[in-house]
Amino acid sequence: MSILNEIERDALTEIFNVGAGRAAQSLSEIVGDEVRLSVPSVEVLRSGAIDEQVLPRTRGRFATVSQNFDGPFDAEAVLLFTEDRALSIVRDMMGSQMSLDELAEFEREAMCELGNIILNACLSAMADMLEITLNSSLPQYLVSSPDDISARLASAQGDESYVLVLHIDLVIEKHQTDGHLIFLLSSSSLHALVEHVQRYLGKIGLG
Amino acid sequence: MASNDSGKTLLIVDDSKVSRMVIKANVLAVHPDWQVMEAGTGEEAIALVEQSVPDYCTMDINMPGMLGTDAAAQILQAHPSVRIAIFSANIQEAVQTRAQQLGALFVAKPVTEKSIGQALLHFRGPL
Repeated sequence: MSILNEIERDALTEIFNVGAGRAAQSLSEIVGDEVRLSVPSVEVLRSGAIDEQVLPRTRGRFATVSQNFDGPFDAEAVLLFTEDRALSIVRDMMGSQMSLDELAEFEREAMCELGNIILNACLSAMADMLEITLNSSLPQYLVSSPDDISARLASAQGDESYVLVLHIDLVIEKHQTDGHLIFLLSSSSLHALVEHVQRYLGKIGLG
Repeated sequence: MASNDSGKTLLIVDDSKVSRMVIKANVLAVHPDWQVMEAGTGEEAIALVEQSVPDYCTMDINMPGMLGTDAAAQILQAHPSVRIAIFSANIQEAVQTRAQQLGALFVAKPVTEKSIGQALLHFRGPL
């Protein structure tokens, strides 16, 4: 059984694309160039199902930025890039004349800023379109191994938890990167989110 | 205005069914006599226009396949009389400029009654 029906998934994808558009606008002001950012797909999975299906198979580590938010539903949002991709994003954000040492110094700050921009743009689009208020905590940056991440997801809320997974395509200064934005939700928060999406669809005459 | 605005045809191009339905519902609420066609990609839109040229068109940008701005450019090149409103979540300056250069109106997503109102004003043209 699929957790979201086709029209609900479509509505959520549109909401996140509006968020991605706002984030791209902010990022383009930082890098002084056009930024392409899109969310081609949204899916909801049980948190146990995430590692094989979603995370790219890689021996390297992941750079993650996470933020908790609360409102009509609570979730932990995690923005996830492979570490080498994260570094190249930081280089594009900070300017390519920087040395690797200098870049490493700014990595945490730049990634937190990137995460803050993308997460808040998505949350604000969701809040505006669903007509709700969401509050978020400060972003936290963590470099983790794929195993750490799987363990973190598995332990998050037990088996009654879900993950909303967004694939992200990001192009800065002609460099293509892809990452994931993952929302960890309890079953009751997922139901509250779906209910708000249905209310939104009802309001626009599609409920 | 009602007299010369009646019986028009509108092509709605968007890969999101929700967006297409919102645009269609809002447009038909104001102009119940308009004929609406829908396409989910730029390629499909171009093929539809070849069969029957609409008066107006709303065009999304990020879709599978070609970009909506490229599809709009092709449509306008063959049929300069079509009035196009480009609806996009990508609100960057460069994108807005591209839409203007094409002679289309740029409208920021989300698709709402207000943004559809802007498109309808553009379709009607200078009074």
